Amino acid sequence: MRILIVDDSSVMRKIVTRGLRQAGFKMDEVVEAGNGQEGLDALAADSNVQLILSDWNMPVMDGLNFVKGVRSSGNNTPIIMVTTEGGESKLQAAMGAGANGHIKKPFTPDTLRETLGQYFK
Amino acid sequence: MNETSSETNKEKILEALRVSVVEIMSTMAMSEVIYTGRETVDNFYLSKEVCGLVRIGGAHEGMIAISCNLELLGVIVSSIVGLSVDELQRDDLLDGAAELANMVGGGMKTKAQIPGVALSPPMSIIGGDYMAEWKTLRATEILTFQMELGILQIHASL
Repeated sequence: MRILIVDDSSVMRKIVTRGLRQAGFKMDEVVEAGNGQEGLDALAADSNVQLILSDWNMPVMDGLNFVKGVRSSGNNTPIIMVTTEGGESKLQAAMGAGANGHIKKPFTPDTLRETLGQYFK
Repeated sequence: MNETSSETNKEKILEALRVSVVEIMSTMAMSEVIYTGRETVDNFYLSKEVCGLVRIGGAHEGMIAISCNLELLGVIVSSIVGLSVDELQRDDLLDGAAELANMVGGGMKTKAQIPGVALSPPMSIIGGDYMAEWKTLRATEILTFQMELGILQIHASL
């Protein structure tokens, strides 16, 4: 399983990676990107990414525009938003743009298993 | 907003901050944290080695900051990212302080459920010798948490 983590915080990318490992998910490779544009570039260079976890607030290109960019390119890889707040309007916008789910920080390995388990089968 | 609803919002925010810090430390840093109390001061003044700041805007304005020493920040960041303290770079600590402030602010927003409250992106300062002050006419509430390796404080001017 190849995962793309898009977040401007290097610490948060490490936190998510560690959380996925603690949840017991087997990952062949974790690809990291520091903003939405870098995320799109990473996807253009690597067609084998099978799950995307993206932050919302990022410089250069935010999470919403990243989701729109991914879907407009015809890429149907599942996208899960990882955010610090659960604002309904933001979530609806993300889901409307093509995101598949949402995880709120702080999260536990159990939360990750519940939300992401279906994508690791 | 009248004075009563402003005071109600302030108490909601402070309680949400208290709960958020305990939740974040216990679920992500796997660290025991004990809330030891709250004091009111008449300024917003930070002088410990680490601070992470988030501005609150919209329906209720203010500033919140996490504050602790560098050793404690190292242990917290080490725990949440799964690296040893020695492996952490200075950028990890700067980023970690900002991310902690971001999570505390986000947790507060979710738990306080005050419509129309917005948060700024976080800012962090790390250094052995700095003083930071936010000019505010409001009092600052300082929430203190005891952790194994030191004290973590939340400063909230609301």
